[in-house]
Amino acid sequence: MATLNLPHLKSDDLPIVIAAGFILVILAAGTAYTLSTLGTAPLLTPNYLLTQLQTGAFLGIVACGMMTVILLGHIDLSIPWTMTAAAMMATTIGGPGAIPTGLAIGLIVGLVNGFGVAYLRIPSMIFTLGVDSVMRGLMVAHTGGFAPQDTATDLMRYLAAEKVLGVPVAVFVWAAISIVISAVLARTSFGKAIYATGNREAAAYLSGIRTRWIIVGAFVISGLCAASAGMLLAGYSNKAYQGMGNAYLLPAIAAVVIGGTSILGGRGRFIGTLVGVILIVLLNSVLSIAQMPEAGRQIIYGLVIIVMLLVYGRTTRVTS
Amino acid sequence: MFQELSLMPDLTVADNISIADPPRRFGLIDRKAQRERAEALLARIHCEDVDPRALVRDLSLSRRQMVEIAKALGKDPKLLILDEATSALTSRDVETVYSVLGELKQDGVGMLFISHRMHEVEALCDTLSVFRNGQHIETFAKGARSQNDIVKLMIGRDVSHQFPPKPVRTKPNTPHLVVDNLRWENALNGVSLSVGKGEIVGLGGLDGQGQKELLLALFGVLRGVDGKVGIGGADGLTGSPAEAKSGKNRIALVPEDRKTEGLMLPMSIADNLLAASFDRVSVGPFIDRSKEKQAVADAIKQLQIKINRPEDAVATLSGGNQQKVVIAKWLMTEPEIILLNDPTRGIDVGTKQELYRLMRELADQDRAILFYSTDYAELIGCCDRVAVMYDGRIVTEFSGAAITEEALVSAALNITVPISTSPGVPA
Repeated sequence: MATLNLPHLKSDDLPIVIAAGFILVILAAGTAYTLSTLGTAPLLTPNYLLTQLQTGAFLGIVACGMMTVILLGHIDLSIPWTMTAAAMMATTIGGPGAIPTGLAIGLIVGLVNGFGVAYLRIPSMIFTLGVDSVMRGLMVAHTGGFAPQDTATDLMRYLAAEKVLGVPVAVFVWAAISIVISAVLARTSFGKAIYATGNREAAAYLSGIRTRWIIVGAFVISGLCAASAGMLLAGYSNKAYQGMGNAYLLPAIAAVVIGGTSILGGRGRFIGTLVGVILIVLLNSVLSIAQMPEAGRQIIYGLVIIVMLLVYGRTTRVTS
Repeated sequence: MFQELSLMPDLTVADNISIADPPRRFGLIDRKAQRERAEALLARIHCEDVDPRALVRDLSLSRRQMVEIAKALGKDPKLLILDEATSALTSRDVETVYSVLGELKQDGVGMLFISHRMHEVEALCDTLSVFRNGQHIETFAKGARSQNDIVKLMIGRDVSHQFPPKPVRTKPNTPHLVVDNLRWENALNGVSLSVGKGEIVGLGGLDGQGQKELLLALFGVLRGVDGKVGIGGADGLTGSPAEAKSGKNRIALVPEDRKTEGLMLPMSIADNLLAASFDRVSVGPFIDRSKEKQAVADAIKQLQIKINRPEDAVATLSGGNQQKVVIAKWLMTEPEIILLNDPTRGIDVGTKQELYRLMRELADQDRAILFYSTDYAELIGCCDRVAVMYDGRIVTEFSGAAITEEALVSAALNITVPISTSPGVPA
């Protein structure tokens, strides 16, 4: 820390500052582009930014859950089909029971994942991948391989697509979940236990922390977040469809890691994940505004993630 | 070669011995030559019984250490550095190693032998150097100094003032922790022991005679423990550290390796201090910031932990201060029973003395302390009673003035055999 000449900046904060700075760079570069081609600056209008937040809400909610699992040094690869399954079952059941049904799916998947990782001691990367595959099979069996005909309930549509005071409701949902998760991580003994277990499971266990419960708890949070995001997504597009969650797994992991959370667990602040989500959403959006062909977008997107992690790796080695 | 073994457990003995520079033919590893080379090296240290094709994982600790020695010899060293090379060997192997080292000496190989066993140093070395706290203190020829002088050089002052005085007992303590016939796999073969309130009971014996397993079993870490444990009259056999630290049990364990078992090194000092007692500073589900701060400040003050800020990573502290953090963490849970697993390993003499004083203070506050140490002087200086373990059971107990180095050493080697009935062959 002394090497940074920033006395109040912890090493954990540095990635967040860098990521936030990069968001400004993206906005500036995008605005420069639109000014030179169109002569206007649509990126800086509140309308555009709110649309980005609306898009980011789904990813943001998934990333909240993903972060709790990554803090333990584990990973949840079952997110895509947890989202899809929750959305499909919610639209199938319909009525007032739709959202509780979807959350129940998330809870069950989380419990199964947690049990497999904490009690059966199967590496999370393998176990959650297997659970994802099982969920996909179950959903294909459920729908017969076709897109289900059921539509989202009014409440799901309201939460996902309506606006209050010009702000999308989904953003409020994202904000509410974020506040809960950040409070849990920073201010409860459960959250502290997540950090401790992620740092050194043996030491946490020998400190009398019930590490297995902690692992199960984190996977349940991840499952619930994925289920919520899946149902919102179904509300947004008015129906559930096969593979609707596939586009969220890797960006969620990227957002968490860009936000400074160590992929090995134990380090990372919640605000970083928020910044990471916004960065990824803006990057995608600006690249598409710039009419970059798909191939170029993917390359730039991947390079940004790699370069940022390289930068973080350097700084943590210097500071620790 | 290292004290901590540097072998890959899942490779064969032959692979391990030639790991850095395997014999090659046409660029590929020549397995036959590699095996023959391993056989030749093992024969040189009289370990013909080790199959070069066996996996290192399947060998006993002493065999592994011999393989490690063979590996070091395989490099045809001019200078051989042995760091506690004999710590895990059986006495027969130690003699073999001595004779091999003697041969090497004849061949003109220079050797640096690091050991904390005085008699090994006496037997092997020509010149002695004493180090203390990372500083070179003195180098002299063998025989130039008496053992007492060397010990003085090692600790930097006379031994006598190291330990706080022991209280004089008028009547025996009421036992608080009672262990009866505790068994676990091969490591514990019927341990019976009692620790009274206000008493420090030492666990002695050679390394690896079940002392660590006994502490872990009491702390609820091991599965499948047989036998009875009574705490304050009630059943005290627990299934997890979370149970052991809470309720009526109130057990604390300062584990063997503070870096991997005691601390979350990258986390802050404050978080480490509170790791066992977050529930104590919480209101409802939330941690109360002011209570947290107060508890951390109290702990730092009580143990005089030298820190800059509580938010710093605990990895920035010295070994002694890290150990204080581990102990302070457990004192916050207000334990009745404190299990200490070699707590003074790798910490400086000054901090050691503070810990000795602290142990005595804790005992005076009516806590029951079970203290395992590999250092005889500590056991003699600190403990009201010392139980010596051998082959998973307690072979004898000493108390008061009967705790002497001779008594402890002979009991540790199971020479006097006062309780044990089976002869017990060291593994």
